[in-house]
Amino acid sequence: MGDLLDSYALAHPHGRPAWDEMFASPGTPRPRTRTLCETLQSLSAGELEARAAQRDRMFRDRGITFQLSGEERPFPLDLIPRLIHEDEWQKLERGVVQRVRALEALLADVYGAGRIFDDGVIPRSLVTSSEHFHRAAWGIEPANGVRVHVAGVDVVRGGDGHFYVLEDNLRCPSGVSYVIENRRMMARIFPELFASHRVAAVDSYPAKLLESLRASAPAGISDPTVVVMTPGVYNSAFFEHSFLARQMGVELVEGRDLACHSGRVYMRTSDGEREVHVIYRRVDDDFLDPLQFRSDSLVGCPGLLNVARAGNVTLANAVGNGVADDKLTYTYIPDVIRYYLAEEPLLRNVATYRLEVPDQLEQVLSRLDELVFKPVSGSGGYGIVIGPEASDEQLEVLRRDITTNPRAWIAQELVALSTAPTWVGDRIAARHLDLRPFAVNDGNDIWVLPGGLTRVALPEGGLVVNSSQGGGSKDTWVTVGAARRRIAASSKSTGQSGVARPNGATSDDRPAAGTPVVVPDPGPNWEDPDRLHQQERQQQQQQQQQRTPFGKDRTGC
Amino acid sequence: MTASRLQIDHVSCYNYSGVVHSSYNELRLTPLSTMWQQLLDLRVEVSPRAPIFTYIDYWGSQVHAFDIHAPHEALTVIARSLVESSGQRWEERELGWDAFARDDVKDPFAEFLEPTGCVPADERLSEIGSTLSSAASPSDAAAEAIKWVGESLTYRSGTTGVHTSAIEAWDGGSGVCQDFAHLSLALLRSMGIPARYCSGYVYPDGDNRLGERVAGESHAWVEYWVGDWIAMDPTAGRPVDAGHVLVARGRDYSDVVPLKGIFHGGPTSSMDVEVFLTRLS
Repeated sequence: MGDLLDSYALAHPHGRPAWDEMFASPGTPRPRTRTLCETLQSLSAGELEARAAQRDRMFRDRGITFQLSGEERPFPLDLIPRLIHEDEWQKLERGVVQRVRALEALLADVYGAGRIFDDGVIPRSLVTSSEHFHRAAWGIEPANGVRVHVAGVDVVRGGDGHFYVLEDNLRCPSGVSYVIENRRMMARIFPELFASHRVAAVDSYPAKLLESLRASAPAGISDPTVVVMTPGVYNSAFFEHSFLARQMGVELVEGRDLACHSGRVYMRTSDGEREVHVIYRRVDDDFLDPLQFRSDSLVGCPGLLNVARAGNVTLANAVGNGVADDKLTYTYIPDVIRYYLAEEPLLRNVATYRLEVPDQLEQVLSRLDELVFKPVSGSGGYGIVIGPEASDEQLEVLRRDITTNPRAWIAQELVALSTAPTWVGDRIAARHLDLRPFAVNDGNDIWVLPGGLTRVALPEGGLVVNSSQGGGSKDTWVTVGAARRRIAASSKSTGQSGVARPNGATSDDRPAAGTPVVVPDPGPNWEDPDRLHQQERQQQQQQQQQRTPFGKDRTGC
Repeated sequence: MTASRLQIDHVSCYNYSGVVHSSYNELRLTPLSTMWQQLLDLRVEVSPRAPIFTYIDYWGSQVHAFDIHAPHEALTVIARSLVESSGQRWEERELGWDAFARDDVKDPFAEFLEPTGCVPADERLSEIGSTLSSAASPSDAAAEAIKWVGESLTYRSGTTGVHTSAIEAWDGGSGVCQDFAHLSLALLRSMGIPARYCSGYVYPDGDNRLGERVAGESHAWVEYWVGDWIAMDPTAGRPVDAGHVLVARGRDYSDVVPLKGIFHGGPTSSMDVEVFLTRLS
């Protein structure tokens, strides 16, 4: 019997108490994490270390590594999962779906009529001054109206226990491959945890993505050719690009494998050229088409944008989405939701200040040492200044920067990110974390992968979770019902935790009905007394989603 | 010139120093149809021949896009257009400087107020701008700004290139119509007056007869907003008239490049552009 959690202390970053995902107070687990807590209590440090070593060996063997400062390391997965109960998850999920619907409407408007400017909800200059506003994408109409095929909406839990949106990622949100690999790894090294919890599956993601990519194919293409486009093996997310291509069963291509002529795009294969209809591209806008953007790009394909404009290929995600996930645009999203959907936002924003507004700038300048500052154009956690942690010199530099170029920065109230028990080498300690749920839009339905990527700031007290800043990750479990219930491996595929799944098609490879084994990842196949009720709710949800303004008729597929 | 019907022949020829296997190109050569200018006919031909895809871009310009995949050593583009113009007109309105500070006035013109690569912000220029704006109404100060540009630059070709910024041209003291336009935009925007770049053609001064084909050039000028858009030709130092044919508008030259493209193969060894204008009425 171990005592790994006995000295577990709750965190108070900069005097603000953080919410702990497992403990309500020291020594008292939250009701829905009690089973996990008991399991951990039964382990010794030696046992956890042995499993950690097993994990690193397996990640290395399978080539699942992450490049940090030029060094390949096994992907830093913490052994202790993060649990979110479905009751709470469904609220978060609805909030993410709402947000993506509003962001889709915003993009359609910004690259179209510009109604929102005329109505004075957001200033035109907000968009025209964004470096991600690509005028070359103006007037391109995606086949099924979808621009955000995949979204990653980063949320954090504040000290009050509520989830807040930190930022939207609508360009090439990455990390979903780690969600799936983390789950597979956990099932191998911690099978007993799955025996005592029912966890919503994550491995249907590639099938969902492929379905939505096929649904976005140009009109009249009944069996579209879909490819994944990568900048190449040196890209830090190359693992994910090849993973998704393999899981979806589609070709992985680089720009030089594609060629546009006479308004169509072709892939060079050993059998000659083959027309491509949908490109899930993981190449940034600026490098995608050297005719329109950077002419020195070697990873793009010239002419691609005009083929998309002609309606002969779909680029997923669409070009120019960055204007809607710009950190300054973020400050307007609650108003954007009210404007397009006539709904109140279900998820809150972190209180954010626009430094171009003189009053707000003045207030911010007097509170430099209390707030968090983020460069508007930055990503990956680079350039963030956390006021309470910054030196006087850093704050002086910041003061100069934000005074001379207020458009380049936003200031946010410091959120005491929630913590969860994390193995830190010799013991379990509280570490701060965030969550990136992934949403997939097929034009009729926005599906949110249950769970998402939980990122952990590994240094004690650290509040920056990005993996490019040395962050770790946790397997994120959406747990269903009460713990310790029998798992029935039924082959009937229905919905899961109220998530709309229109045709239930998945790539799951789990044991057939009645197989007497412990199923580590039961996913949607369980017997549930509430199932009928859930299905009903699911149908309602689908119907609602079909009424979304951008839910045009699906083509293809 | 008060009204005109002009035929424009714009012939561009790229001679490559080696064999080019594929090239991707966009043309912005179509005169706009506006309240005062009508495009009556347009023919665009490229050689080697290629199918052409057309679209209207963000700025309202018509784009012809094409790609060529047969090996070639030269590319020729011929655009012939027929345009009738009654001369650009505008309403003189007297707006005070306070109007230019209002968000509801500024916001619709946001992108014509911001600096760009070719039209950067510059402190010395801002000082000249504030001297002009403190002494006169917006429309008078704008007219003075155009005059100032005419006095600050000498027309001389070959001293600047397509990527020269307004400030570089000013420092060098000379340039072509593109530089006159960029420097005008920089000064006008520094005063808070929305201003945009115009590309097109101008019928040359002189004793030309109807039906006579005369050599011309691509031209550039500016429009600025002081209650209405006013079109001025800073190179000629006069308002735009029916001798000007408007093709495209944007923030600066890079939004309206008449021919742009990329190709796989050797560097361009030469590029010849000829423009001929024929006045038909």
